[in-house]
Amino acid sequence: MSYESPIREPLVTGGKTYADVTRDILRPMENKASKAWWIGFVISAIVLGIWIIASTYTFLTGLGVWGLNKTVGWAFDITNFVFWVGIGHAGTLISAVLLLFRQKWRMSINRSAEAMTIFAVICAASFILSHMGRPWVAYWPIPLPNAFGTLWVNFNSPLVWDVFAISTYFSVSLVFWYIGLIPDIATTRDRATGLRKVIYNFFSMGWNGSTRTWHRYEMISLILAGISTPLVLSVHSIVSMDFATSLVPGWHTTIFPPYFVAGAIFSGFGMVLTLLVVGRVVLKQEDYITMGHLDAMCRIVMLTGTMVGLAYITEFFVAAYSGVEYEQYAFLNRAFGPYWWSYWIMMSCNLIAPQVFWTKWARSTPWFIFLMSIIVNIGMWFERFVIIVTSLHRDFLPSSWSMYTPTITEFAILFGSFGLFFTLYFLFCRYLPTINMAEVKSILPTHHDNHDVHHATEGYDEHATTKKGDEIHG
Amino acid sequence: MMNMPQQRKEMKYMDNSKMLLGIYDNPDLTLDATKNLIAQGYDVHDVYTPFAVHNLDRVLGVKRTRLSIAAFLFAMTGLTSAILLQTYASYFDWPMNVGGKPNLHIPTYIPITFELSILFTAFGMVGCFFIVNRMFWGRNTDIMDLRVTDDRFVIAVNIHEGQTDVSELSSLFVKGGALEVREREKDI
Repeated sequence: MSYESPIREPLVTGGKTYADVTRDILRPMENKASKAWWIGFVISAIVLGIWIIASTYTFLTGLGVWGLNKTVGWAFDITNFVFWVGIGHAGTLISAVLLLFRQKWRMSINRSAEAMTIFAVICAASFILSHMGRPWVAYWPIPLPNAFGTLWVNFNSPLVWDVFAISTYFSVSLVFWYIGLIPDIATTRDRATGLRKVIYNFFSMGWNGSTRTWHRYEMISLILAGISTPLVLSVHSIVSMDFATSLVPGWHTTIFPPYFVAGAIFSGFGMVLTLLVVGRVVLKQEDYITMGHLDAMCRIVMLTGTMVGLAYITEFFVAAYSGVEYEQYAFLNRAFGPYWWSYWIMMSCNLIAPQVFWTKWARSTPWFIFLMSIIVNIGMWFERFVIIVTSLHRDFLPSSWSMYTPTITEFAILFGSFGLFFTLYFLFCRYLPTINMAEVKSILPTHHDNHDVHHATEGYDEHATTKKGDEIHG
Repeated sequence: MMNMPQQRKEMKYMDNSKMLLGIYDNPDLTLDATKNLIAQGYDVHDVYTPFAVHNLDRVLGVKRTRLSIAAFLFAMTGLTSAILLQTYASYFDWPMNVGGKPNLHIPTYIPITFELSILFTAFGMVGCFFIVNRMFWGRNTDIMDLRVTDDRFVIAVNIHEGQTDVSELSSLFVKGGALEVREREKDI
């Protein structure tokens, strides 16, 4: 149903038919789990176990098991929170922003990117809970009337805004993801038998592919994309306001919202690349997630990496230009103080390293892209560490200056959160279609048979049709 | 053969408990066949496709959904409730002095107001979507053809006893490229 110019690289290669798409995408779900899946799942589950042990230990003992002190009251917890929320942003960007821009290459990566969003936000939320130290009172930031005396929450506080932002973001992303899944769950249902059929039937909500339903479906997808776009921008803006509305030099910066959003997209695409460079090979989806997709994502990584790099430099300039001594010291301390190494890891991973994507070779070599995606993830984790810890550890009163050293428990929770993320991701790969089949089918060329009346009458290149058609039949 | 639109309208009130299905494997052919059938005056019940086929809704005369209006109303509901909640809680019910900041401070209400508008829009609109499509968890559906969620496109035409020429209809289906034509009970 889609017209592709013959000079354009096709979005789906291999001359797939509609039935091929269904078969290829459902293969990992309909067959026994592969060895690779079991290995990955078991390792993730073990790491998840570490997370459970470390978190339980923290909750039973108290936040004293972390390396926090009077001066550095936020460190690994909020670093990890911002890190994971940021990773989530690529999913919404791919599914919503690229939908509004009618970027059809998004269609074979949006499903897994959205799944990544949801799992990453779950990880992020776990750090919000754990940084409270007493997770059983985690409902306190919710405005409940008169539950604790007559007090309400302080609506002037960005921390309260964040509670609303993150929960809205999580639930709206979940709805968007589920809406996209319904037609594919129906496809799975119609090929399944036994208990599987019962379960997929339950979640398919009676989907029958009627044109009337599709008409409404297109409308709500468009509106969900339309509201998710400002939502995703607002979420990380609000996360940045947790810092920017304070008076701490190094945090009190007006460029934080756009800078955080660019960083979030950057880190999110880093994680999408980590997952897809491996996933497309393991799940045999090279025809759907083509080198063209990797190339496009590498370009976005380079662009957003350069944007955050510009923000790092702008912060320095503004600090120098402001003439405020505290501000100037905060930034000099960042780059040349005791945590200089974290600053330069951040700079080299986020600004310098992505510049390799100017070369075609870097954008078309999967192992190198994978390596770069890991570097991006490391760099973005350090960005948050730099912002939080180096700004806090030397405050206005030199007598309270101190250093922060993470404990083994904090490392275990950080490491374990990857277990949580990957366990969920492996379950997703096993039980849900990892590519949006209905959308991918809509971008397949329809001229694989000889009935292509539309394109012939609309001036379609006769020779190209024949040539392309032959390739597909062969 | 009935060519007049009035006749088509009248048919809807008569017996139409059966449908003839034309099964296709190409969205372009399905679109053309649907156009043709409607031009010939047949009562096309619906077309079932594995993905949204561009323009098919217009050909079928599906009215533009009002879900976008619903979405706007839900957005306004979210906006209003957020403003009411924050104004009531922090100004009328229990003003708190936090660092001497004003209690009725509209700019700081913007983030929560925005988020709640989005939240209400998403959930309200999707809820309406499920209601108008009669979709709910656990609903069983009698699907037209098992492959309609895979690679087949089904045009369902209502048969009106004594008025629809079934043999002519099925030859029209085949002429339009149908792979298979079959009759089924209408149960909706």
